[in-house]
Amino acid sequence: MSNRDLGSIARGIAGHWHGAPGSYRVGAIIMLLHFLLGLFGPLLAPYGYAAMGTSLPMEGFSWRHVLGTDALGRDVLSRVMYGAPTVLTLAFSGTALGFAIGTSLGLLCGYLQNWFDELVQRLCEALISIPFLVLALMAISAVGPELAGKPILIVLVVALVYAPRTARLARSAALEIVTRDFVTAAKLRGDPAWRVAWQELLPNATGPLFVEFSLRAGYAPVLVGALGFLGFGLHPPTPEWGLMISENRSLMFVAPLSVLGPGAFLASLVVGLNLFTEGLARMLGRSDVVVRA
Amino acid sequence: MSPKPVLAVDDFGFAYRQGRAWLEILHRVSFAIAPSEVLGLVGESGCGKSSIAYSLLGYRRANGATQSGTISLDGADLLALDRPALDRLRGRVVAMVPQNPATALNPARRVGAQVREVLTRHGMIRSRPEADRRCAELFSLVGLPEPGTIGRRYPHQLSGGQQQRVCIAMALAGEPKLLVLDEPTTGLDVTTQKQIVYLLRRLVATSDMAMLYVTHDLALLAQIADRVGVMYAGHLVEIGPTNEVLIRPAHPYTRGLLAALPDIRTGAQPMTELKGLLRRQDIPVGCPLYPRCPIAVPSCADNPQPLRPIATAHEVACQEYKGATATQAAMPQRSIPPARPTVTDTSPLVELRNLQLGYGAAVGLHRLLRSTPIQVIRQIDLVLNRGEVFALVGESGSGKSTIARSLAGLLAPLSGTIVFEGKPLPRSISRRTPDLRRRIQYIFQNPDESLNPRQTIFKILAQPLIRFFGRSGGALAPEIEQALRDVNLDPDYARRYPGQLSGGERQRVAIARALIAKPDLLICDEVLSALDVSVQASVLELLRDLQRRRGLALLFISHDLAVVRSLADRVGVLFKGELVTCDATEAVFRPPFHPYTQRLLDAVPDLHAAERRAAG
Repeated sequence: MSNRDLGSIARGIAGHWHGAPGSYRVGAIIMLLHFLLGLFGPLLAPYGYAAMGTSLPMEGFSWRHVLGTDALGRDVLSRVMYGAPTVLTLAFSGTALGFAIGTSLGLLCGYLQNWFDELVQRLCEALISIPFLVLALMAISAVGPELAGKPILIVLVVALVYAPRTARLARSAALEIVTRDFVTAAKLRGDPAWRVAWQELLPNATGPLFVEFSLRAGYAPVLVGALGFLGFGLHPPTPEWGLMISENRSLMFVAPLSVLGPGAFLASLVVGLNLFTEGLARMLGRSDVVVRA
Repeated sequence: MSPKPVLAVDDFGFAYRQGRAWLEILHRVSFAIAPSEVLGLVGESGCGKSSIAYSLLGYRRANGATQSGTISLDGADLLALDRPALDRLRGRVVAMVPQNPATALNPARRVGAQVREVLTRHGMIRSRPEADRRCAELFSLVGLPEPGTIGRRYPHQLSGGQQQRVCIAMALAGEPKLLVLDEPTTGLDVTTQKQIVYLLRRLVATSDMAMLYVTHDLALLAQIADRVGVMYAGHLVEIGPTNEVLIRPAHPYTRGLLAALPDIRTGAQPMTELKGLLRRQDIPVGCPLYPRCPIAVPSCADNPQPLRPIATAHEVACQEYKGATATQAAMPQRSIPPARPTVTDTSPLVELRNLQLGYGAAVGLHRLLRSTPIQVIRQIDLVLNRGEVFALVGESGSGKSTIARSLAGLLAPLSGTIVFEGKPLPRSISRRTPDLRRRIQYIFQNPDESLNPRQTIFKILAQPLIRFFGRSGGALAPEIEQALRDVNLDPDYARRYPGQLSGGERQRVAIARALIAKPDLLICDEVLSALDVSVQASVLELLRDLQRRRGLALLFISHDLAVVRSLADRVGVLFKGELVTCDATEAVFRPPFHPYTQRLLDAVPDLHAAERRAAG
């Protein structure tokens, strides 16, 4: 790649940034900070995440322990920094898996509109009708003790909660697209359903799916945190933010920072993602995504 | 012309902002309309004619701005008015009839209530009974049946023609001095179009209301307009009495437009006199037509071309118009198509036997519910021979497209069989072999819909090659380049997306996609109706040429009788799901006509109508 290419890309990004709504820009900056925290947090953390007795337990703010220490004398800030990659990875991979499954099913259903569609739709409705925390807990207890506390289980549970919701959205997007003649042309050509879904439908449904993805990804840390809080998430001493809030909740009045600190990080991630999504939706709604050749 | 015009547009320029640049939409346009006069504005898509129509209502999009000039409407300076003043003006002084009544009317409200709203808004009525009486008057004025009670209906309970009459009634409610009509009959059938044009003519004759009639259809203007203005790329290039402009066109663009129309009376071929396409970025400071003009001289590019009078009330913006009119006395002579080369093998390719078609047939589990399908085609027997062009004509709802869809395998027949080369064709596309699918190709009406906007032209054209011929990798590129050349497109287009092509170019890509499969039968479903007149002519030429060279059989579905006459070998006329005539083209278009064919033919607007009207 030559310098000129890089220059034009930089100008493209600058132009994109310039025209974007404020909420999109603020959200993007918050997300960038979280991303950097996820990448470098563990390297920069002043103490280990399981290092006990770094100071007196339940200490409040001090310059050595900005967020104080918990009941075991562990530095809360270090634990938050160590936890960032875990939270981000779990939330995003769970959402991504749920999206992959939901989008494929939804687009296929929207194209086929036959018994398979009926079956999948009824199944999705049944899953959506169960409150997501209940569904998650049912799934965890159904899997049994072997997987309990493993990150893969959290990812699967997030995916299970999101897949039916995504499937419905993808299906409704597909229902509009299949009425267009290029889909008919693919059908006349004899393209198999998966190919039509992949080549004709998916590229034209990216707008609403993208918005939905970042919206769901914004809720995912809350879901992961809630599972952690209830004790169905990762096992201690993993520094997952929801689990930390749960562990320290009895210290709420003694060392409020040990709860509010991880809470603030979790909240800022969710708010950042939501702002980003809101701005993104406005940008996509303002004009159809321009195809640049 | 009466001394005081209702409307005077003077040196009006208008532009839209695109990013940081301004895109000029209208360039110093000037014209006037006198009371009870009909001015027709004609031009192709993007020429700025609709922008004029909206400007006359004092409406502009948020990203538009006036660049120069004034619009004076009934003595008021329209461009200087504020919002309350505009509100008083709209409906009372100027009113608009929209292009598509189906989207202009609120589907959730009764039509009477929508007309009453105009009356109450302008304080023209005091009481509900008075409003109802006025509505009934308006409805009977526009020729709606049962004017007293039809106001109780919702828009979907009316036909397209009736909906447009309601829109006209709404426009007339405020007794405006100027009626602006933006393609008011484009979505309607020819027979309905004829009735609406009759209505409009009667309205003008019985009042002193003036009209601005915006359309792309020159022949239609011959029926209604007193004067015609021709727009090209935001410039008004010619304006004059309808007769003058249509019979003795002076501007090369007007001549090109007229030449591009197929003539239903003679079956003459349309011709493409203008080179290439309108590209705004190529327009020089001088004449906007310069890059495409057949008679341009170098100085055309530099000298701005103002309108200059050449005859009484006839003005042309062309310095070279004498060169065009002197060489050919009137319009260039057009070739009558030669007898077709005889195709060696004319055995039947497709036979429709006792075919009954309809929608809503029960499938799968729904069969238990026993729904009765709505029958569209009652019974039809039809033979298509190899290498012939068979045209199906009829109004919307006559079942033309339904036949095409069943032939393509998109709609299973209720009963009867389709025979292809002597063997029954499987009813649904999923049961047909790849080879059968390849041999019957389908071209859709609207290329905006039939090409995936997220795929490059290369990818679009590669699909049939991969599917039908198992090509891959390096073998694709040469064939795709050749396919693009076959439809007269630059092979470089392979890298572009459909959004970067014009409408005509997109339809060429759609044709290329069908032809690349090397079909025996090509189904063309209204393939020209989404295209501009001059583009239509070139696509038609291309289709005709390809059909002859490759010996394709063409099922050409159209509502345009003139196009059909210039292209088809045989014609079938459909009326409400039945084939009323089916014969060689010459026989169908020669008296004695079938009564329904006669009705269709009568409804086709005729360029020479104005001439005859003037004479009679």
